[in-house]
Amino acid sequence: MLKPRLEDHLVIGRYTGKVIIGVGLLMTIPLLTSLAFAEWDTALDFVIGMAACFIFGFGTQLVCRTDKDLEWSHGLVVASGSWIVATALGALPHFLSGHEGSYLDAMFDVMSGYTTTGLYLLQDLDHASFGLNMWRHLLTYAGGQGIVVIALTFLFRGTAGAYKVYVGEGKDERLLPNVINTARAIWLVSLVWLAFGWIALAITGAALGQSPVRALLHGLWVFMGAWSTGGFAPQSYNTMYYHSIVYEVLCAIIFIAGSFNFALHWAVWTGKRTEIRKNVETVSFAITLTSLVLLATFVLARARVYTDAVIVVRKVFYQLASGHTTTGFSTIFSRAFVTQWGPVGMLATTIAMAIGASACSTAGGIKGIRVGVIAKAFFHDVRTMLSPESAVVRTKYHHVRDVVLEDAVVRTAMTITLAYVVLYLVVTVAGVLSGYPVVEAAFEGVSAASNTGLSCGVTLPNMPAALKALYIVAMWLGRLEFMSVFALVGYGISMVRGK
Amino acid sequence: MRLRHAFFGAVAILLIALAAGCVERPQGGAAPDSPNRLSSGDLVEHMKEYDGMTVTFEGEAVGEAMARGSHAWIHLNDDAYFEKNIEEGAPLGGQNSGMPVWVSADLARKIGTFGDYKHEGDIVRVTGVFHAACPDHGGDTDIHAQTLEIVRRGHAVVDQPKPAKLVWAIALSLAAGALFVADRAITGGLKA
Repeated sequence: MLKPRLEDHLVIGRYTGKVIIGVGLLMTIPLLTSLAFAEWDTALDFVIGMAACFIFGFGTQLVCRTDKDLEWSHGLVVASGSWIVATALGALPHFLSGHEGSYLDAMFDVMSGYTTTGLYLLQDLDHASFGLNMWRHLLTYAGGQGIVVIALTFLFRGTAGAYKVYVGEGKDERLLPNVINTARAIWLVSLVWLAFGWIALAITGAALGQSPVRALLHGLWVFMGAWSTGGFAPQSYNTMYYHSIVYEVLCAIIFIAGSFNFALHWAVWTGKRTEIRKNVETVSFAITLTSLVLLATFVLARARVYTDAVIVVRKVFYQLASGHTTTGFSTIFSRAFVTQWGPVGMLATTIAMAIGASACSTAGGIKGIRVGVIAKAFFHDVRTMLSPESAVVRTKYHHVRDVVLEDAVVRTAMTITLAYVVLYLVVTVAGVLSGYPVVEAAFEGVSAASNTGLSCGVTLPNMPAALKALYIVAMWLGRLEFMSVFALVGYGISMVRGK
Repeated sequence: MRLRHAFFGAVAILLIALAAGCVERPQGGAAPDSPNRLSSGDLVEHMKEYDGMTVTFEGEAVGEAMARGSHAWIHLNDDAYFEKNIEEGAPLGGQNSGMPVWVSADLARKIGTFGDYKHEGDIVRVTGVFHAACPDHGGDTDIHAQTLEIVRRGHAVVDQPKPAKLVWAIALSLAAGALFVADRAITGGLKA
């Protein structure tokens, strides 16, 4: 194990500083929102938050002066380290608002936002300012793209090391040959969806009886919560607040689209429409979602929780699609999962959350591509066993192009899947040890670790601080898909024990 | 190296000081209990038991009335903030909880103020039938109210900037500005 040299610290510090400057710049939007609505105290929260980010960012750049470019290990450490610093500093406006019980709670909410999870500990959301609500939703929208992607887009100019930070954030698709252009392509897709989704939700909100200003703001925030598969909403009732099937359908379209791989979006964008039905991730998503919806519908219909078939399907599809895409929007009370849906309904939702949606998207969880690859590998092995010894069995899967299934790909998919399963077990056991029933502990723990945000009532300000801290780590690990976090841990150990 | 250590030490001290000293802590006192015999928490926790029962429910009207023809949706919170919210100095008392209420639009129009950042909403009492999964509204949990009365009128909440925050905002902005200028001068700014 090699002890990092001074040059390594400098290059990591320099690039981390850049990302944090990006976070500070992002606070301009909630600051302007607060000023526009004469929320003076909230505006000060954001001035303080921005100044703290700039002090860290410019100070670090000043102190960490080096011409050295990033290596792979640096990129991974910058990605995971940036998320920690961005969470610590991004929590300032939350904490200063007075709506958080502690700084830990504020950091929980910010990590939840960046990781597009959607669980929150903020208290009295229904009296929160427009500025703070803008920040909550912007966090999740920006986190969905990846805060490193933001920095790549606006602050890095053609560095060869940029791709290494980009990969460290859990994204590895190159839509275009240049990673900066890839980051910009991701933004292009997201902004076009933002324009259409925002307009549709705002018009619907106005038609549902909201004032024009509130319809516009709610439309924007709900879009951000849906597209980023974040699940934050401006009212404590989440999307049940709107009591509208049209609003639900729009949300479902947006969060399902948001959960698709950016490579899929780019393929469709460039005219390859058949990709939607051929891609291994959309096929996997369709199969698992349909199976789980059927299971939950059968159980809830038999228990007569809802009075007619249309209502059962509407409720089940919305909650499960929201869970499967790791969005976390809901049209039922959190505790209704326990008091109405029962263990089987909760189990179906937990499985949906655990699987999650597409890789290189705003979604979390194990991801459809890994489920698809493992399923293909399973059938490949069955076919191999049934074929004559001399036969050569080849299996392909389709992801933008046809790819031959190789052992290395299967092994990587299995490794990451196993890491997720272990994480799910750890958070479940921790929940049980904290005194929650096992089904509730599993539901909430998987929701945090898969970055979903559906709650059955465990995540509350009075939950044990240790469990809050564990959920923060689980959200971070789940979003960055382990490797860059392991690199950061390894970096820390090598600083102490390396030679 | 000393300069670096001093810088990171200063950042750490700054953050701790901010967290510790900048916010006016909530005033003492316990959060009020729900004004209802059956609170929103009780109704959600025992849905089957209370399904179809006529209940009287009181809470702060939040958000807005969303009219749909002759009726409207309102939301009544019976949580720790139904009398006073955090901006007015209420102690933290957990997350919001309440009930959606389906009521005639004429009755909903009696509500003058809805709770948000700048307002404490009217406290409203309704009587109606509780539905665990309303067959008329897509399975939503709600109360169909037949009567509505205003218990207490709401009011505007003043958004007073806190002096300590103002001092911190100016001091930190000056420090950030100085570092920006120094960064531009020494390293040439943001060039990667």
